[in-house]
Amino acid sequence: MTSFTINGRTVTTDVDDDTPLLWVIRDHIGLTGTKFGCGIGMCGACTVHVGGRATRSCITPLASVEGAAVTTIEGLDPASNHPLQQAWRALQVPQCGYCQSGQIMQAAAMLQDFPAPSDDEIDTVMTGNLCRCMTYVRIRAAIKQAAAAMGPVKQEPGA
Amino acid sequence: MSRLPTRTDAATPFSRRGFLVASGAAGVAFGFSQLLASIDPAVPGSVPAPATAPQFEPTIWFGIDAAGIVTVNIIRAEMGQHVGTALARILADELEADWDKVRIVHVDSDPKWGLMVTGGSWSVWQTFPVFSQAGAAGRIALIEAGAKLLGTTPANCTAKGGAVHAGGRSISYGDIAKSGTVARQFTPDELKALPIKPVKDRRLIGRETHSLDIDAKTNGTATYGIDAKLPNMVYSRPKLPPTRNGSKVVSVDDAAANMVKGYLRYLVLDDPSETVPGWVMVIATSYYAALKATDLLNVTWSAGPGADMSEQTLQDHARALVAKADGGVQLDIADDDSTPAFTAAAASTIEQIYTTATVLHFQLEPVNALAFEKDGVFEIHTGNQWQSLILPTLAKALGVPETKIVLRSYLLGGGFGRRLNGDYIVPAALAAKALGRPVKMVLTREDDVRFDSVRSPSVQRLRMQFDGSGQIQAMEHHACAGWPTQVIAGPTLLAKTKKGGQYDPFAIAGADHWYDVGHQKVRAIANDLANATFRPGWLRSVGPGWTNWALESFIDEAAHHTKTDPVAFRLKLLTGKGRNVGSAPNAVGGALRQAEVVRRVAAQAGWGSKLPADTGLGVATSFGQERDMPTWVACAAQVHVDRKTGIVRVEKLTLVVDAGTIVDPDGALAQVQGAALWGLSMALHEGTEFAAGEVQDTNLNTYTPLRIADVPEIDISFVDSDNVPVGLGEPATTVVGPAIGNAIYAATGARLRHIPITPAAVLSALKAG
Amino acid sequence: MLKRVLLGVVGVIVLGMIAFGVFAWRPAIAEVAPPAPGSFAPALVARGEVLASAGYCASCHTAKGGKPLAGGYAMATQFGTIYSTNITPDPETGIGTWSEPAFRRAMHEGVSRNGAHLFPAFPYDHFTKLTDGDVAALYAYLMTRAPVRQDASDNTVPFPLNIRALQAGWKLLFFTPGRFRAEPAQSAAWNRGAYLAEGVSHCAACHTPRGMLGAEIKDRPYAGAPIDGWIAPPLDKTNPSPVPWTQAELLAYLGTGISRYHGTAAGPMGAVPRGLSHLPAADIAAIATYFASRNGSDTAGATDDAAIAKALVADKIGTGLSYDPAARLYASACASCHYNGRQLNPLRPDLALNSAVNLDDPTNLIRVILYGVSAQDGAPGVVMPGFAHGFTNADVARVCAYLRATRTSKPAWADLESKVATIRAQGQGQ
Ligand code: FES
Ligand code: FES
Repeated sequence: MTSFTINGRTVTTDVDDDTPLLWVIRDHIGLTGTKFGCGIGMCGACTVHVGGRATRSCITPLASVEGAAVTTIEGLDPASNHPLQQAWRALQVPQCGYCQSGQIMQAAAMLQDFPAPSDDEIDTVMTGNLCRCMTYVRIRAAIKQAAAAMGPVKQEPGA
Repeated sequence: MSRLPTRTDAATPFSRRGFLVASGAAGVAFGFSQLLASIDPAVPGSVPAPATAPQFEPTIWFGIDAAGIVTVNIIRAEMGQHVGTALARILADELEADWDKVRIVHVDSDPKWGLMVTGGSWSVWQTFPVFSQAGAAGRIALIEAGAKLLGTTPANCTAKGGAVHAGGRSISYGDIAKSGTVARQFTPDELKALPIKPVKDRRLIGRETHSLDIDAKTNGTATYGIDAKLPNMVYSRPKLPPTRNGSKVVSVDDAAANMVKGYLRYLVLDDPSETVPGWVMVIATSYYAALKATDLLNVTWSAGPGADMSEQTLQDHARALVAKADGGVQLDIADDDSTPAFTAAAASTIEQIYTTATVLHFQLEPVNALAFEKDGVFEIHTGNQWQSLILPTLAKALGVPETKIVLRSYLLGGGFGRRLNGDYIVPAALAAKALGRPVKMVLTREDDVRFDSVRSPSVQRLRMQFDGSGQIQAMEHHACAGWPTQVIAGPTLLAKTKKGGQYDPFAIAGADHWYDVGHQKVRAIANDLANATFRPGWLRSVGPGWTNWALESFIDEAAHHTKTDPVAFRLKLLTGKGRNVGSAPNAVGGALRQAEVVRRVAAQAGWGSKLPADTGLGVATSFGQERDMPTWVACAAQVHVDRKTGIVRVEKLTLVVDAGTIVDPDGALAQVQGAALWGLSMALHEGTEFAAGEVQDTNLNTYTPLRIADVPEIDISFVDSDNVPVGLGEPATTVVGPAIGNAIYAATGARLRHIPITPAAVLSALKAG
Repeated sequence: MLKRVLLGVVGVIVLGMIAFGVFAWRPAIAEVAPPAPGSFAPALVARGEVLASAGYCASCHTAKGGKPLAGGYAMATQFGTIYSTNITPDPETGIGTWSEPAFRRAMHEGVSRNGAHLFPAFPYDHFTKLTDGDVAALYAYLMTRAPVRQDASDNTVPFPLNIRALQAGWKLLFFTPGRFRAEPAQSAAWNRGAYLAEGVSHCAACHTPRGMLGAEIKDRPYAGAPIDGWIAPPLDKTNPSPVPWTQAELLAYLGTGISRYHGTAAGPMGAVPRGLSHLPAADIAAIATYFASRNGSDTAGATDDAAIAKALVADKIGTGLSYDPAARLYASACASCHYNGRQLNPLRPDLALNSAVNLDDPTNLIRVILYGVSAQDGAPGVVMPGFAHGFTNADVARVCAYLRATRTSKPAWADLESKVATIRAQGQGQ
């Protein structure tokens, strides 16, 4: 039995505790916005937030998230209106779209640390997220647009 | 060359049946597949709103309901090109529809749609006339009916914004449809004669728009094949045999797999279609259980051909084939007979060998399919690019007629040609048949790569002969690679020469270029070892991915051989004369349009300006995939070469594209951005090798496609044009590699003749240079 | 003559054995009826709860997925696997019939109620320092838990090491019973920290190297040691971290499970901040004070700015265009979390400063890469995923070597790939 919260809702599952969080989210909880790309933590398609931090769910065993707060793309914003989602739509970032849940979740975590990220910072943090359609030019632009829309955020200490 | 499906193929049902414009009487309901099985990429979950029976369904391509909602049926796969939006806008423009009331539905396989294929950058080009005429006919019928309802004559009416207007009065399309008074029939000839709007009257085509599939792709609600679900389904992962062809299962031991909670059983597939020989399917109640159990299942096989194949062996074989004078198929190139073939008397001759490595598709969504049988009909839920190709194979595998199989459309998490080959559907369907319940098969990334129809490695030999004044007298291009069309689609889709030779047009396209080179010979050679070892695939632009690497590198070498500036050299050869004059409708302007993009890219990139040390600018150009449907592209790459490490850093890519009319400008830009970066990725970052019969790199720990930090500055522009819209998804992939190679030469004098270009190769070329 | 000598020798041996027997023998302490939970003062139970937490009783006395304190947790030692016992007040299988004196004798002398010597896997060599009052509080806490009926698992310690009486010999050699004695020269906080660290929290049990017979080597206190497949880093002056473990850093680490300049508490250390978290803040600060004094950072006054600045620069390495496969692997798999802003990010360990990267032994780094850190351990609620499934041994070795080379100026680790293989074969552990 493992309990954690997902998008604010508490779930308890009796799935084997070595099951990757990704499959628990997709197959058992039924939220399919989180995608399976590589299964080894190197494409970012499966990125969710655990405790507010971007985390590759495909290599996170269920046991690891006991008691933790998990957020998926479906829970990022109640109306799908996170500034990143707005920018993503405005700049028409997605092509096939398969990587984009992960891209947005990774970027959302990054903006907490870099409210006004430079290209270098975007490159460093976003390099783990593969986009096979190569929408990278727009990802960069959309992150900057969202950051600008969010305005000067009070920086977290140390961030 | 007859490698293109003709536009009328795509429109066959449409021309055969005539264009029936009839009132939306009851009973015109959608067929089985459409009701159950369509996707609307604009809505959460991608499930279309329940269809209110269309009141006015003048053609299979669209219907209008009482609320005036225009639903356009799209037979193309949505894999990132926003194809539904682009196609619907063609139709809506002629129809004078209110864009806010237009919906798109990606339909399921049904013979009434004709040829269902999404590839070759054909979608817009092929659909443009069909949808324009469908829209125009609808508009005419609506105006006639609207005029009657308004009590006036059609001549007094205009259509605009989804309504018919006469003087100060108007009636909406919805109300006209609701009235049930539209009745009009067009013969095929009438249809063909329908005038298409003049460019200046276009309201939607060429204007910025918001693609209908975008929003659902930003909040997790877009539904891909991997997201398909059915009650009572079981999960499956295959245990893959050691070779792609001819493996046979000798024994299976599932003692260890049995320990996995949720493991149900294994199935040794019996596949009459020979698509997946030697496959063993592991069935479980959850996907993770299937993953674990598959790892623990012990299978012994007798391997098929190629079990010990290496990249080296494949390429050595290709080298031997291109070196031989005979073999292969010589294409019908209209030679300028006034120039001699290769002669000993030539002033000078150059000859080079170019090679490319094996490349993976690595579309981000691993292939998958969900299949089940109900009342004798097999329903398949998956994303696929070429339904018409896989249906007969499925019929053979399942032992049922094609009419008993329906492919339901889902979004594709990347296509790039991988899903033209629907081989991955067969095992899921066979398992569903064997078990009598829905089976959802998902390949792991490693499985997906091992089962990929990779882009074949290639070897090409190019020769050119000059006279005393540096004029080219003759050129030869011999290209040897695996032939995807031959292996996957079979002989019927091969191209034929006048002498009866059969060849894979996709594997040689690009070599039949638009340069004037005098006596020209192009020879396509199948690498039979490659064909036997794996299933060569169509990968974004296919043949030009290698032919243009060789051609544009070689043209650069020829320019330097004659001490001519590479841009000037190309312009001199792109005269637009003789066989290169071009033809209506697609290739109007011929090589002169190619010359124009070369000229523009040179200007845009600052050709000829002084650059810092070890920095160089290289140029390359292409006409896309087909001489019959050229998309003119030119690219200039600015690179810096670190002489100590051999690392090439691309600083900037400049591209100019002439694709005729641009239907969806932002979508077009996205396609060229993606294609150009694919080209960069394949030039510097990708590539794998066969070892012991399989590709060596099966996941991202060692396969290293382009990532965001690798992306240089990119400047892309389009030539304003009213010409026939042609394809955009692929052409730009093929110019970046040779532009980089040529830039490295410009920067350092080192010539690279293999992609991917590695630092080690640069270092050794530097030493040699 | 020879016979007499032999007889004498045998006699001496026999006498010796009798003497040892007498020495080793401990009486059983009579069983009592399990005391009623209501017979303990609530304040005493509460104090016991804090101490039980700070002594991680539940960590060792609870099997994976098992009932708390019911035993069965496996401890792999060099002498075989020892399973912890049931310390719930179940009369049959737990300690329900133990009187307080019996419990105290176990804590202070390492002797079971029935007189058998306990294996030193039970750290009575530390608990002997506890005051009688603290022992009474622990007793009160344990006896008020819900009894769980669960038989002990059989240890796999081979003959003759499994002869309990022999443990008396071990004690003779290595065990000094006796309560904690304060150092008058040190502050009250220092002494409080020392009492907790040396006693109930038994820090040395992991951080002090052990000799051939498994006893802590007294003259190398806190010099660092392997434990449960991990390395417990040195807590003395030899600690290799680029930034000194100051009192403030220790306090942050022990209090929250993560230190900005050192890393997160993973592996066996994961339980420590959780265990200590019930102590009053002043007690955790006291432990920090004690160790800051032991490692010399309290007097060094060293500035860490240079190391931090260097780390910030080093962290840029590996991003951007690079063909080095190791750098690319790092940039793609690791950098999306292990990045910094203009200052070090407090929630994601900086790898240039991280203990695991700076230790002489790569074990901890390999383990964390393979198996990750759960939400319970380290920074609370935050997870590091594990790469065991996705990465080959060569991949893990490449990342380790790359970090060592680019983030530290320490010598390269040898035999990385085979080390990874060994650790992978050991598995994740409990
Ligand atoms: S699927 Fe998790 S990182 Fe690729
Ligand atoms: S949009 Fe297709 S993978 Fe990113």
